[in-house]
Amino acid sequence: MASVAHAPEHDHHGPPAANVSSRVDARLLGIYIFIASEVMLFGSFFTAFFFARIIVPNETWPPEPFELPVYLALINTIILVTSSFTMHWALQSIKRNYRAGLIAGLTLTFLLGLTFLLIQAREYTRIGFAPKDLAFGSSFFGLTGLHGMHVFVGLNLLLYALIRSIRGHFGPKAHDHLGVEIPGIYWHFVDVMWIIVYVTVYVI
Amino acid sequence: MRRRAVIQMIGIGFLAGIVTGGVAFFIPWLPDQASEEAKAIDAAYWFVVIICAVIFALVAGVSLYSCWKFRAPPDDEDDGSPIHGHTGLEIYWTAVPTILVTAMAVFSGFALAAAEDLPDKHGTIQVTAQQFAWSFTYPELDRTEGELVLELDKPMQLVLTAKDVIHSFWVPEFRMKQDAVPGVETTVPITPIKLGTYDVICTELCGLGHSVMRARARVLSAEDYAKWAAGDSGDSAETTTGEGGDTSTEGR
Amino acid sequence: MAVAAPQTRHAEHEGPPVRPTGRRRWTAGGWLRVAWIVPLAFLLVPVLVLALRHWLSYPSSPFSVLNPLDDSGWNDDFWRFAKQDLQPLITTWTVVVPFAFLAGIGGFDYWAYWISGRPTRPEDHSGHGARTWRDYFRVNTDHKVIGIQYVVTTIIFFIAGGLLAMFLRAELAKPGMQIVDPQGYNGLFSVHAALMIFLFIIPAFAGLGNYVIPLMIGAPDMAFPRLNALSFWLLPIAGLMMLSSYLVGPFAAGWTNYVPLAVQQPEGNLFFQMGVQWAGASSILTALNFLVTIITMRAPGMTFWRMPLLVWANFATSTLVVIATPFIAGSQFFILFDRVLHTNFFDAGEGGYPLGYQHIFWFYSHPAVYIMMLPGFGIVSEVISVFARKPIFGYRLMALSLMAILILGFSVWAHHMFVSGMAAWLRVPMMVTTMIIAVPTGIKVFSWLATLWEGRIRFKTPMLFALGFVSMFVIGGLSGVYLGSIPIDIHTSDTYFVVAHIHYVLFGGSLFTIYAGFYYWFPKMTGRMYNEALGKLHFWLTFIGFNATFFPMHWIGVRGMPRRVADYDPQFANWNLIISIASFFLGASTLVFLYNMLVSWRSGEPAPGNPWRALTLEWQVSSPPPVFNFDEIPQVVGSPYEYGVRGARHAVLNGAPTTQGREAAPMEESVP
Repeated sequence: MASVAHAPEHDHHGPPAANVSSRVDARLLGIYIFIASEVMLFGSFFTAFFFARIIVPNETWPPEPFELPVYLALINTIILVTSSFTMHWALQSIKRNYRAGLIAGLTLTFLLGLTFLLIQAREYTRIGFAPKDLAFGSSFFGLTGLHGMHVFVGLNLLLYALIRSIRGHFGPKAHDHLGVEIPGIYWHFVDVMWIIVYVTVYVI
Repeated sequence: MRRRAVIQMIGIGFLAGIVTGGVAFFIPWLPDQASEEAKAIDAAYWFVVIICAVIFALVAGVSLYSCWKFRAPPDDEDDGSPIHGHTGLEIYWTAVPTILVTAMAVFSGFALAAAEDLPDKHGTIQVTAQQFAWSFTYPELDRTEGELVLELDKPMQLVLTAKDVIHSFWVPEFRMKQDAVPGVETTVPITPIKLGTYDVICTELCGLGHSVMRARARVLSAEDYAKWAAGDSGDSAETTTGEGGDTSTEGR
Repeated sequence: MAVAAPQTRHAEHEGPPVRPTGRRRWTAGGWLRVAWIVPLAFLLVPVLVLALRHWLSYPSSPFSVLNPLDDSGWNDDFWRFAKQDLQPLITTWTVVVPFAFLAGIGGFDYWAYWISGRPTRPEDHSGHGARTWRDYFRVNTDHKVIGIQYVVTTIIFFIAGGLLAMFLRAELAKPGMQIVDPQGYNGLFSVHAALMIFLFIIPAFAGLGNYVIPLMIGAPDMAFPRLNALSFWLLPIAGLMMLSSYLVGPFAAGWTNYVPLAVQQPEGNLFFQMGVQWAGASSILTALNFLVTIITMRAPGMTFWRMPLLVWANFATSTLVVIATPFIAGSQFFILFDRVLHTNFFDAGEGGYPLGYQHIFWFYSHPAVYIMMLPGFGIVSEVISVFARKPIFGYRLMALSLMAILILGFSVWAHHMFVSGMAAWLRVPMMVTTMIIAVPTGIKVFSWLATLWEGRIRFKTPMLFALGFVSMFVIGGLSGVYLGSIPIDIHTSDTYFVVAHIHYVLFGGSLFTIYAGFYYWFPKMTGRMYNEALGKLHFWLTFIGFNATFFPMHWIGVRGMPRRVADYDPQFANWNLIISIASFFLGASTLVFLYNMLVSWRSGEPAPGNPWRALTLEWQVSSPPPVFNFDEIPQVVGSPYEYGVRGARHAVLNGAPTTQGREAAPMEESVP
């Protein structure tokens, strides 16, 4: 490979190291800004939901004859919240250079997330209404579907982190486990978002 | 030096103002004023026009003057005066525009209230828009027509709705515009003060027939309106429209 | 397209990157891989979609009609169902094919390495910098290459959008229909607007910023070079998608795409919805990159109060993009779902609120106006300061007014909806905020004028465009105040007055600043000077053509000509003819620009490092700059605008100050 042959030269003629003008790591800042953008995407779906919910007068919510499986979703909520804790455990493990904990934590998180997604898919098929049933159905499937997509993306990220942790790519130093920390931040965001979705869509 | 500059600029501005004002005077800027509401809207319009014209004249004057006065000679390598700012001036041009926009907002608010003020004693016309036609239902007469017929000086409330997509009701001479939204009832007040025939124009893109989605609005005197209400629609339509079909604004 | 100027003088240090040969060329990232992966994805999509629909036993699946035993099925029935089925197909195509393209060109290669745990070789710069013109057609991580890729791509879409506008004006030259049918006309202005907004103005600023921002703040590159490359390649996808709507009939519900009209439209509308997603993703990722770069990679000494105003402007713009753009993504997703999944987000008959779409749409699309303005403000601040040879007047207030516009920009969206029938109480607050936003904008205009005062003004082409911008933007801003006043808006909204207003803001405003930026940084980007005489000719032709085209539109709008009409009342015939002739003149003036750019790029005079004697950092390196911008990161010691201040300096580069003399004085107020 050319890059190998030229490696010493590259070391020499590579870019000067950029000045670091912020205490926040660039990659962490990047994921936070990305999450801000994601929050706004959810915001647009919540806006559509609230138009159907509040601006249009409704006698009951959910509109007759539909019902929402509040308790099933509560179980799902508990599953997802638990997965946040296992994620946190995974990150703490690698910070203490405890690789088995990292792998176990990531695996648990992944499985919990997958369970959440499967339960939600089951809920969709049994819920008794479809996306075309009123603006209610549209915004319900819109919000929970958007969240489901995020869980799916999060699961992918977790899977990649898991592959790399099995291969032993992460270490205890701050820069050596960003590959766990960043999917973790995303996962916590997905989790917090679900709590908001659950409270607004199912509970209130 | 600076005083002379200001005097020069004021002089140039004064001349330019006379010329443009003179030209402006002979141009019919707005369509005929054919409704009570138009008076309030036109008042707001001219109020804002005058303020904005002054601001524009000021900006254009200063920039043209500076471009001419402070142009660098060829091959000049000098820099300008190192002026970094002037707190007083900056406060001034933050405060004055704030006052001006507040004035415009307040004036507009009152004009809006005046335009939308509808006496309790008013008639109602149900307006339904669909691709690509208007229909007007007169509940008092229990009739639905393809044209809007109004009685001179009688305040009317138009209640708009649409069957398919969003349309917008506009009669330039009445100055009033309101979208007609499917599933929503919107209202617009109109008090015609001038006899004539005008165009009802759709101003919200509604599909391929958008540009031809027009109807006729006729303002009739009390007698003519009574005749029309009695069912004499065909004749009076002939007599009032007379020349030129439904081209409304008749040039001027 | 020949890029004559050698992009870098430091290339010889690097050695040419060795490209894969033989069979591996087909599997390595590049156009060869695109050549097989995109058709493959294109063919795979119908198979998957039709199989899935068949499996779910959707009644309209052509498979249910296409019974091999029943030979009548191939006839009309099949095509009728197939046509209905185009919507899911088009949707899936517009999602999958771009991903296939990006994978093919190599946009995901590094991430795939990372995911699979292979070494990512952070020290490998083989995809960095351009050695031949071919490198501009590859995934390249050099912000300077990406900047040029952006600029050239956006100019191509600008030409496409401009040609559509020529067709529009040709149709409108006479009352009645001559060239296109009404639906075709609606398609023309919809695609024109979509291309100009999403594929020209917004990304042109992103491109200029990409080139200039890292240089200006003294960084070797953007924070995320690979993400940067990816966000560029999303752009041609979005543009081609919007143009390819012409394959099935263009989208024709305006760039605002209001429901329910958008849902009712033919399938061409999908290309707008998906095109916006790709363009939006591109601008969000670029904005994220700008924000992180500006926050974390400034040179030592480059405090926020020492940043050039263009950096401030891009900071504000990027914040707007990150926060607002998801709302247009959401709004177009709703239409997409309404069309393809038969949801009813905004259907009043199904418990939806029809005006909800407009609120969501304008919550993005009003800030979008500032996304299209603020970088222009930044460019003009640079240009005016340099060519008036004076410090920018009221630097801090200029930066703060950008921030004020950023914040206020989120509180004015409903002024687009004064006659929409939305909640009546919302109108007056929105009018007040709309009026107030004129104040920070006014501060900027007055500060530019004050910067001219007692300067030594040099009328180079960028300066002409900057001055043209100030005057034209004042007209656009003031007509914006008209439209912000509810009573006036009731009369003028959706008329040609609005058409005039947006063109004064986006053409006289944004485009003039883009031109100013193109001319100003042309020597830096290409290493060659443009032709000054042609540049000036271009300015005057554009300035005259622009005013002749758009000024009369104010008047015919107020007189009663609604906008977005294919046909109009004969009383406006004369003015429309005049406008059309002026617009062809304006269109032709662009040819001068293109000729100047192309010829100067090939064979212009070689540019010195700092032809404008500017102080900002991008001018302190060679033209074009070295691959990694700086041999060593500069030390910033003062304000970037200290023209005429004896001995003041902005930065120390390679041990030498950018100007000679004593230490920079702290910023202070001074009156002559």
